[in-house]
Amino acid sequence: MKFEPARNLHYVAQKRRVREDLRFVTGGAKFVQDIALPGTQHAAVLPSPYPRARILSIDAAAAEALDGVQLVLTGAQLATDCNPIRLGLKLPEIRWYPLAVDMTRYVGEWVAIVVADDAYIAEDALDLIEVDYEPLEAVVDPEEAFAETERFVHPDHGSNVLYHGNFLWGPVEDDFAAADGSLGLRTRWGRSATVPIETFGVLASWNRGTEILDVWASIQMPNFVELLAATLGYPLNSIRLHQDVDVGGSYGVKRGIKQSVLAGYLSRRLGNPVRLIEDRLWNMAGGDAHGPDRIFDTEVAFNNDGVIRSIKIRALDDAGAYPGRAPFQLAKPISALVGPYRINSVKYEAISVCTNKTGQVPVRGFGQAPTNYMIEMAVDAVARHLGLDRLEVRRRNLIQSHEFPYQIPPGSEYDSGDYQTVLQKGLDLAGYDQLLARRDKARAAGRLAGIGIATNLEPGGGNNIFEYLMDPGAEITTFMEGCEVRVDPQGNITGIMGTTTSGQGHETMFATILGEELGVDPDDIRIVHGDSLSALPTRSPIASRMAIMLGSAAAGAAGKIKDRALAIAAHNLDREVEDLEYSSGTISDRNDPSRKMTWEEICFIAYRAYHKLPDGMEPGFQAQFIYQVPGGGKLPDDDGRVGIYPCFSFQAHIPYVEIDPGTGRVSVLDYAIAHDCGTVINPDIVRGMVIGGLAHGIGAALYEKFCYDDEGQFLSATFADYLMPSVHEIPDVRDVEHCTPSPLTSHGQKGSGEGGYLGAPAAIASAVNDALAPLGVTIHELPMRMHDLEALINEANSK
Amino acid sequence: MKPAKFEYLRAESIDQVVQALDQGDGETIVLAGGQTLMPMLAMRLARPAMVVDINHVAELSGVEILNEVEGDGELVIMACTRQAEALASPLIQEHAPLLSKAIAFVGHRQTRNRGTVGGSLAHADPASEIPLAALALDAWVSLRSVAGTRRLPLADYFHGPMMTARAENEILLSLHIPRAPGTRGAGFHEVSERRGDFAVVAAAAVIGVDERGVCDHAALAIGGADGRPRRIGAVEDKLRGQRLDSVAIAGQLSEIGAALAPGADQHAGAAYRLRVARVLAERALLEALAEAGP
Repeated sequence: MKFEPARNLHYVAQKRRVREDLRFVTGGAKFVQDIALPGTQHAAVLPSPYPRARILSIDAAAAEALDGVQLVLTGAQLATDCNPIRLGLKLPEIRWYPLAVDMTRYVGEWVAIVVADDAYIAEDALDLIEVDYEPLEAVVDPEEAFAETERFVHPDHGSNVLYHGNFLWGPVEDDFAAADGSLGLRTRWGRSATVPIETFGVLASWNRGTEILDVWASIQMPNFVELLAATLGYPLNSIRLHQDVDVGGSYGVKRGIKQSVLAGYLSRRLGNPVRLIEDRLWNMAGGDAHGPDRIFDTEVAFNNDGVIRSIKIRALDDAGAYPGRAPFQLAKPISALVGPYRINSVKYEAISVCTNKTGQVPVRGFGQAPTNYMIEMAVDAVARHLGLDRLEVRRRNLIQSHEFPYQIPPGSEYDSGDYQTVLQKGLDLAGYDQLLARRDKARAAGRLAGIGIATNLEPGGGNNIFEYLMDPGAEITTFMEGCEVRVDPQGNITGIMGTTTSGQGHETMFATILGEELGVDPDDIRIVHGDSLSALPTRSPIASRMAIMLGSAAAGAAGKIKDRALAIAAHNLDREVEDLEYSSGTISDRNDPSRKMTWEEICFIAYRAYHKLPDGMEPGFQAQFIYQVPGGGKLPDDDGRVGIYPCFSFQAHIPYVEIDPGTGRVSVLDYAIAHDCGTVINPDIVRGMVIGGLAHGIGAALYEKFCYDDEGQFLSATFADYLMPSVHEIPDVRDVEHCTPSPLTSHGQKGSGEGGYLGAPAAIASAVNDALAPLGVTIHELPMRMHDLEALINEANSK
Repeated sequence: MKPAKFEYLRAESIDQVVQALDQGDGETIVLAGGQTLMPMLAMRLARPAMVVDINHVAELSGVEILNEVEGDGELVIMACTRQAEALASPLIQEHAPLLSKAIAFVGHRQTRNRGTVGGSLAHADPASEIPLAALALDAWVSLRSVAGTRRLPLADYFHGPMMTARAENEILLSLHIPRAPGTRGAGFHEVSERRGDFAVVAAAAVIGVDERGVCDHAALAIGGADGRPRRIGAVEDKLRGQRLDSVAIAGQLSEIGAALAPGADQHAGAAYRLRVARVLAERALLEALAEAGP
């Protein structure tokens, strides 16, 4: 599909109210917890206290005898009735069941589940289950897991390695040989995630009469229903996922597959609706919702002027006990593996290992945030090594605005951008010269002060083809989003989307584009979420893709609606379609505007006057559009190059921090960000995404970590120990937009849900290292906790 | 996150509370602001047979000055006084400014609206602010049982992490802070990863200076670096009788470490706690000195 360039805009890019706000601020949202079905029973899960242990026996007799308890289910029983959950890579000897079978593989893994008449009784019953464990030595350190030859998380798999691949794009060795110098750097991204206010929740209800399993879940996941059906062994069309449930936060982590398998299985078995709402402890330890945990060893080759020629990256990622789609978080960043820089060649070694820790799920950017952090630290290291200004080194390496579309060595084609200008806008907004003066004044007063500079790309739109890079059997080239637009007999317009939403404002975005295309006030357009049996195909709101994909699908469907209206009008006005003009629902003759048909007349004909319809036209007034990701649909070429995501947003982050030298505590005192996601559809939504993402990134940089001790005991099960930044830790963020439209989308829009998060950790790390620079020390591990910083400062001062 | 079954008693008087505690065989627990107890109940870390709710016992709340006791009299803070109320109390600001400074670090406005002064003291987390400040102020607590009321200096009250001298049949009734001459200065510093968290390490100091500019009173207490808040007597002794300035204070801190036995957790190791105790002690003492009028 080819789009016309953006025209005069009435609704797109205008500051307009976000329609979702009303229900969220007035208590009108509907979350899973709010769905009430008569006869609902409540599930509670029993977590493993051991990171690795053999389950010798489980005695649930006392629990089952408790008044009000319906059932106690263990993994051994469940495994006879359902299939293992399908993993992303084909690893047939790793069998992932919703409950541990024979062996527990991490602290918090669910060993048994109780269903009872209320949640209190269910937890009382947990106390009565006796499990006999034989504790085993756990696999905790990812590097040891990689080298391990005997102690395996999954003994049948015969290794702790889930994936190990080598990629080479371009003449890396030649470029290294020709470069003036090179350096090596180890960076480490800590185990954090998105941790939403709402834990995962699901309500499942099997109907014997219709043989349909109705599911309400706080889900954000492509293939969820397919996976659920495959695990339960049901036909796909016997599950109906209700997608009109508000999801209380996600950014990747609301996968909930094992939870939903359990609820679905138990509902059918018991003949009652079953609700499983994770509590915070079950969620943090056993919800399988941790993010990447990654060690990078990077070598960069550069010239003495700071121009980077080539890069070698080894990434070792700790996927935890059950891989799910974790290894692919090493593959997606290939779409922007060299960041916004002109780097001629890349070598990439990707290793995913399992350990006795909670499983990993996709987190905002699907592996891109750690990669961006690594690249930015490497660029700063080059500047430091050469004694050049960090800003100047970036300017010398950034892709220039006239070079777009720009193909990077692994094959992605950056669609558009103006990186130098956006960086300059960020510097101007930050008041860079004054900021330098502020920093130097603080330093002169004996404080540790630093400015961060980070630029980053945000690939948007999605595409499954990175799976093929890891598994050439996975020939999945389709990545689509569908929507339907209906015009009712009164002429009202309804847009039907096929996925849940978790706070991104999709309804506003969808209505805005429909309104723009149809010339109708978006506030007059209704948006609903179809269920999985009635809605068109979707890949869900992952990959910064909804503005790109649902937005473009909306434009496509609106175009079909207009075409239909024009055909009806042409037939009845006795004119050719080319002679007619559509304007806000009214169709008139270009040459004789008095000759026209109103929207009401067209709707009447569509629904009531078959005799006035063009020959062969079906009655009714609706349009469906399924949009395939632009540039997708291709397999890699013979050199292993493939375009992965289609659209590339860009941000420049300029924070200012000070570190208390006595305590190591970092204060983020200022933050300026310039962002370019092409055409902004709703400015408030984009700004919310940018600032929320940035806060999330400050968390990953300074506070958030799922900690394990050396024995594999989990230490961060509550918010007293897993530290998320509060409003006190997030500075007043100043932001400025820039617009380089994408040539690939309906209105030039790109993705915006991830960029704040993808760049903030690198920016804060850059600022902290700048603050430490006078001491001659650096830190390349996230989160940069205050006790680590204090130790570094103390050591430097003691020398 | 659903508590195990318990009986609930909404008490109307102190007598009713102590009766219930006396009959409880150690299985009865007092609910004040609930900021610690409710999560412990929800996580089933606490499984009392009975919860006695004291939120409606009017006589357990309030701040007043009692002059009839010996010396300069004392400031009395009843146990169920909300932290927010204590923070706003002009009496506390005037007579125990250290406590006001400390309470500003306790949690957040929302939690201070519920949390109580007595709750912090009864829970006795080794890093919490109110016990630390009270210890530096030479305060006492009153404990009541059916047998009567006893007073205990805080130095004897804290036994270890979440362990105190309070018997199972006693309720912590009130906190008593001796009134001090108005010329003393107070300093409170702490470090936590996020604002409002439990302190990783905290320091509270009180300094008095006589008309000649010589230190006549020095109190220094450190929290978060031992199983209970600790007074650092060795440092206090060295400061008293000296003309204090930043150099004099910095020179007297080397013995802090000897008084502390910090533990380690994911938030900080023992070495961090020791080094930072010294840093914060210096800051607290300097702040107190700056406030102390000659």
